[in-house]
Order: sequence, then C-alpha cells, then structure tokens
Amino acid sequence: MSNRDRTTVVILGAGKGGMAVLELLTHLPGVEIAGITDQSAAAPGLQYASQLGIPITQDLVSLISLQGINLIVNVTGDPHLDLLIATHKNPETEVLGGFASKVLWDFVQHASQIQSQLFQTEKLAGMGTFASGIAHDINNPLYILLAFAQNILEETDVSRIHEQTRSIMEAGKRIQGICQHITQYARSTNADNTTAVEVNDKLDEALNIARYATTLQDLSIVRRYGEHVEVFVNPGELFQVLVNLMTNAIHAMERKGTLTLSTCCENGVGKISIADTGSGIPTENLEKIFDPFFTTKPPGQGTGLGLHNVKAIIKKYRGELKVESEVGKGTTFTIELPRSSI
Amino acid sequence: MSESKTAGMFSGRESEGLVLVVDDEPDVRKVVRMILEKSGYDVVEAEDGEKGIEEIKKGENSILLNLIITDIRMPNMNGIDVINYYKKQWPSIPIIVLTGFPDLEMATTMLQHGVADYLVKPVESDKLRASVAKAFEERKVPGF
Repeated sequence: MSNRDRTTVVILGAGKGGMAVLELLTHLPGVEIAGITDQSAAAPGLQYASQLGIPITQDLVSLISLQGINLIVNVTGDPHLDLLIATHKNPETEVLGGFASKVLWDFVQHASQIQSQLFQTEKLAGMGTFASGIAHDINNPLYILLAFAQNILEETDVSRIHEQTRSIMEAGKRIQGICQHITQYARSTNADNTTAVEVNDKLDEALNIARYATTLQDLSIVRRYGEHVEVFVNPGELFQVLVNLMTNAIHAMERKGTLTLSTCCENGVGKISIADTGSGIPTENLEKIFDPFFTTKPPGQGTGLGLHNVKAIIKKYRGELKVESEVGKGTTFTIELPRSSI
Repeated sequence: MSESKTAGMFSGRESEGLVLVVDDEPDVRKVVRMILEKSGYDVVEAEDGEKGIEEIKKGENSILLNLIITDIRMPNMNGIDVINYYKKQWPSIPIIVLTGFPDLEMATTMLQHGVADYLVKPVESDKLRASVAKAFEERKVPGF
C-alpha cells in the first residue's frame, strides 16, 4: 500500500485551516485524501469534501487507525488530540501537527496572498490594451466639448449658446461614464466577499471594459441571456475573468467578427459562454493556453497570465472551464459555476 | 500653413468650396460644420461612408465637391477600407482623416495611402482650418 509516488492522507479538522489544506491537497496529483473529520458537522470543509467525494466521518479514532495511511494532517490546533493520535495510529503513519501544521497553514495563506497580487498585477498590465480604445472614446466627446466651449466665447446668439452648452454637458457626462467604468474595473479585487452574483449584469459590466480592446474592428455583439442566472463567487474575480475572456475573444477577431455572450442555468449550475468568430487556437496550443506565461501575443502585449488566472479563479469556486476551438472559425470558452454556496 | 494666409484666403463672400463631413456622431459633424462655415466653406454631412457617397452623388454635389473629412471607425466599414472606398469612387478628391485614435502607425498607413492629413480629435480649430486650406491648395496644383 505504502508507495513513494502516492501519499494517502487524512485530515483532522475541517474549519478554515482544514478547508485550506483540503483545497491545497486536492490540487496535488500525488496525494489521495482518504477522509476528513471535524467535531462540528457544519464545518465548511466537510461540505466541500462531500462535494469532492471525499469520505467524511465523525469517528476520529477509526479514521486515525485506518490501514494504509501515510500521513495524518492535524489542523485542529487541539493539543489533547496528540495523545489520542499517538495511541491509535499505525506505527508507520506520520503525523503533521502542532507547529508543522501551523507552518503549512501560513504557507497556504502566503500562497493565496501571492495569487491575489498576481491577479491585480495582471489586471493592471492588461489595462494597457485598453488605452487606445479609451482614448478614442474620450477624444470624441472631448472634441465636442472643447470646440463648442471655444465657440461660446465668441457666440452672441443666446439660443445657440444654450444648445451648445447642452451638447457640452452631454459630452462631459459621456466622459464621466467612461471614467466610472474604468475605476469600477481597476478597483474590483478579489478581496470582496463571495456572494450570489447576477451573471448577466456582470457580463454587461465586463463588456463596457472589453469593448475598449477594439480599435478598428467591426464588431457585432449578440446576447443570449437566460433569466436570473446566478453563480456563487467573488464578484470582483468574476468581473476579471469575464473581461479577460472577452478581451481575448476581441483580439482574436482581426477585422470583423461576432462576439456571442450566452448564459443559462442547468442542474444547479450557472453556465456562461463567450464565443468569438476569430482566428481560433491551433490544437497544439490548446493544452498550453492555461500554462503560466504562455502567450502568442508580441512581446510587451500580453503577460501570459490571463488564462492561467482565469482557470485558477474558476477552479477555486469548484467550477469548470472548457474551451472549444477551430482554426479559422473561432473559439468558445464555457464557464460552469455552482449556483449556491458550498 | 500660416494663419495670416488662411485668413486672407477666406476673406471673400463666395463659397470657398464644398466639404463632405462624415462622422457617426451628430455633434462632431456640427462642430466641424460650424468651424468650416465660419471660414466660408459649404458643408454636406453624412453619418457613414455609404451615406456620404449618396450625398456626393446628389445633384451637382459630385462636380462641386472639393474635400472629404472623415472618421475611420464607422458602421460596416473601418480604417483603410473607408479610405479605399472613397478613393475608388473619386480618386481625385482629397481626404482628411479626423479620428479619436491617437495612433501613429495608423496615421502613417493612412498617409501612405494618399490621405491629405491625419487629425486627432480634439483638434484645434485653427489646425483644422489650416489642414483644409492646404488640402484645397494642393488640389488646385494639377490644374483643376
């Protein structure tokens, strides 16, 4: 049973720490989680484990004494358990507890902090791709505003002054709207709380930003929204995911194209799909697109972290991210996220 | 183009010439019309390239038209396509691009394709007038 390539682990404690350890270990291919326990049946880690199909038990002793266990991870922080574990565990089973599990917890916290900084960095780096589109959308009303203002200095006809002042105010409001969209995006962070998010609204918000990625394309937008599609995520992170996928879609369509945004609910899952009629992704690249730093964009125009982050966010919420692509025809990304909290 | 020369050119009471202004934003068209009319030009407006061509073909406009001022982002047509479209219809009419894109690469491409000038909004009124006057002068040279 004991095998150096595969480590069988049980987790004691399913609170915040247990949940984090569970999350970390499920991502490691060499680790099998044989079970998890907690005094409280309502511990969040237990619900998560049951979704992942990991055995849950209230019987601490039988979990500790299971045959074939390589490692017991004790994140309960309860010193009284040490003796119990020592008494009932198999002689060959190792224990990670006390300070070691505290260090593990710190490590998990640290990793999540780095991940969060990475999201922010990628987002701000991505703002550069919107610069030209933002400038265009501001320069038009700005021209109207400045030209009419200059004219009003010399204009004597009161009705014309009034008319042009109204145009100036309208132009000013348009610029204000653009600034609101940009700040809304720049301020969106993954520090927000996880909550039920109306997907259709978020898609529209994201489109406000991704639209700036177009320069001179002739772009048609098709919306196929289902009613009340909700998913349980951090709204800032979902915003970022959607902006990222839409921006990629727009960049894939060189001159003309259709961006189709669809949403629906199926069996407790919220589904979002973003489809473009762009250049498509060659089969040999399909496996690499989620790798960190993989990019086909010219140097300085892509961090190669966009899709990597998108996948990490979706995974964090126990969601699925699928991609279908055909060279010359286009690409469709489909996100599936749980509609309720776990 | 010096300002004094521009002012001198536009001192007469007769029309200085006919300019087609193509932009999908009504207020931008209004602004350009206002600036050009002050300098004695006649202005025809259109909201996109296709309507622009229709406007030019109306009545005697096609004979009288001297200049096109156009945006390059329009419904159904964008960028260099817009320029090629006009060039195909009227190879001899000068085109000034007036756009919100501060894009040097685009400007270079446009100028290589025979555009008379590439102006980025918000352009100063004097600069727009000077650019229009220059395009008119250059057009006169071949002997029209």
